[in-house]
Amino acid sequence: MLLRGQKVYNPPERMPQDIFLIGAGQTRFCEQWDMSLRDLIEASVTAAITDAKLSAIDIDMVIVANMIGDAVADQAHLGALAASLLPHRPPALRVEAACASGSVAVHTACSLLRSGDVETVLVVGAEKMTDVPNEVVSRALMGASDAEKDAAAGLTFPGIFGLVAQRYQHDYDLTREQLSLVSAQHHQHAVTNPNAQFQKAIPAEMISESPLVADPLRLLDCSPISDGAAACILSVKHRSPFRIAASQLSTDTLSLADRPTLTSFSATKEAAQKAFREADITRDDISHIELHDCFSIAALISLEDLGFAEPGNGISFYEQPDPNLTINQSGGLKACGHPVAATGVKQLIDLRRELRASGEQFGLAHNFGGAGATCCVHLLEHAA
Amino acid sequence: MPPNTPAVLARAKKNRDRRSQAGTIVSYTTVRHPPAGFAPQPRRIAVIALADGTQTIGVVTGDEVIAIGQTVLPRLRLNRVSHDGLRGYDIAYEPVATVREPLQTPFPGYILALTGPSGVGKSSINLLLATVLSDQVAPVPIVTTREPKAHDGTEYRYVTTEEFQSLREQGQLATWADIPSQDERRLYGYVVSDIEAIWQSGKIPSVVTEMHLLQGLAQHYGRRSILSCGLLPPGRSRRKMLSTLLHRLRHRGRDTEQSIRDRVRNAEADLRFFADRADLFDHLIVNEHLDGAVEQVKGIVLELVKA
Repeated sequence: MLLRGQKVYNPPERMPQDIFLIGAGQTRFCEQWDMSLRDLIEASVTAAITDAKLSAIDIDMVIVANMIGDAVADQAHLGALAASLLPHRPPALRVEAACASGSVAVHTACSLLRSGDVETVLVVGAEKMTDVPNEVVSRALMGASDAEKDAAAGLTFPGIFGLVAQRYQHDYDLTREQLSLVSAQHHQHAVTNPNAQFQKAIPAEMISESPLVADPLRLLDCSPISDGAAACILSVKHRSPFRIAASQLSTDTLSLADRPTLTSFSATKEAAQKAFREADITRDDISHIELHDCFSIAALISLEDLGFAEPGNGISFYEQPDPNLTINQSGGLKACGHPVAATGVKQLIDLRRELRASGEQFGLAHNFGGAGATCCVHLLEHAA
Repeated sequence: MPPNTPAVLARAKKNRDRRSQAGTIVSYTTVRHPPAGFAPQPRRIAVIALADGTQTIGVVTGDEVIAIGQTVLPRLRLNRVSHDGLRGYDIAYEPVATVREPLQTPFPGYILALTGPSGVGKSSINLLLATVLSDQVAPVPIVTTREPKAHDGTEYRYVTTEEFQSLREQGQLATWADIPSQDERRLYGYVVSDIEAIWQSGKIPSVVTEMHLLQGLAQHYGRRSILSCGLLPPGRSRRKMLSTLLHRLRHRGRDTEQSIRDRVRNAEADLRFFADRADLFDHLIVNEHLDGAVEQVKGIVLELVKA
């Protein structure tokens, strides 16, 4: 609030600076029983620094994305943990936004880079999930929902997306056989990804017959529990052919009960709109998408909310794949694995690999937290 | 999941009264492996649209087949038992035997609704919009029983209380509200045929509403028909906002001091409504300057028209 006579402070105009992805590295996503949370972070950070052909001391700041380190690995305070892996211990902080932690960390890095305070930032997303029994992980993950409104009834995350899927099937007459195409295609893609948890094709019939977890969702509709870490180095000082063309963050109500619809996530819509506006491109310019398929139904809804398909029509991309657009070529969360906070960072690494291989110009990463209460959309540009 | 302790259960109890209403099933699932702390049997859980227009998530009792759109009634049930034996009760919902056909509200078109406390500038914005967006937006006349006043714009259509009641009984009102006042009975409403005439002319009807009118409209046409903008007075705290409103109401000199007191009292409830029913608003706009607020609403409407 301004007092009378007070002047509005106008910051000096600064040209928006280009942010480049100059290096990246990751561990394989899978059960890594021989590695601790620290080991995972260290492995991905070392790989990223090597890839960037930088010295570690070029890093001005570290941002760590992690969701359940406190509950599962008894380890909070991950900013300092990651910084202490570098010789000069740069300033560091931790970012948490449930399954969107990784992309929100990238978004935070972009904001800091634009502020001019730092020139090169290391973002690392890491999660250790397989050390403890499933109930403990399940309960920790429910922290991403509304504890009073959703979790109190005894819901789990598959339960939340079961509610979403039931309504979607009701509104758009999606069949079980159609839904199974989603996981089947993601598994098919993962066959050639050496970092994927399941490098194995699974036929759609087997998905339709897997055990029910939260009706109508079955076991093979759900992304797995994984260990893994992914790191990216972003810079306004050092250049590379890969530029962050847009980084946008949006939010929605935390509880599913407070939304006007269950079959569309407004944070995805908003973040996508803002991102396309920021990069000043259209959906036709995108050649690769890495999207947040925490459950098969989420992939369909996300394609619709991102503006690539009409409501109810997301399945068309799985029935008749578009030759000019790849979706989750990495295997996505379902087949590549989903160490929650690492996913948003890993998506950028996948896009970089895909753009390099295809020589195309634009890729889109879509990463959300909870039932879409936080959503980040990044557009990566490849100057071929 | 919140911990199962006396303090948490005591707070949850406050919610029980609110959730103790009949409702309809919006969606449902069966959680095959409930989280630690709940009975290990599969749990059937639903999103339920309650009678007051809010939604909740709760357990559905019984094991008969249920369907989206089915009516449920609230029951008090044991929800979970903590390891030291503390029993937590919660509202669960019992399906009513008759399965109603799933309601598919047809989508009739968009209505622009401007909601906010008295004095925030709803009518001014609505009138200006009708000028700057005359090809896209047309204001819907407000049918009211209140006494005409010298400063009233052309937006009001005055009727007697009997005429109003008869409109209501014949189902000609899309929504109506009884807004409390010390000196007269003030009924306000919007007529279905007025709204439909504007749709037929290819424009978006715009209405000024308060909480009851807005909820009524959302019920009548479906929430997704309402392009809902909440208007807030400037100010960081609720007290500051109310004092801004008081200042504006006094400044415009239309109301008696008694009527201003009524309006400010209603405004307190209106401001709470923004927080309580955030789901009913697509956009919140602070009306610092009239031009700026009109520009914002204009932008929102144009984006919709383009899409």
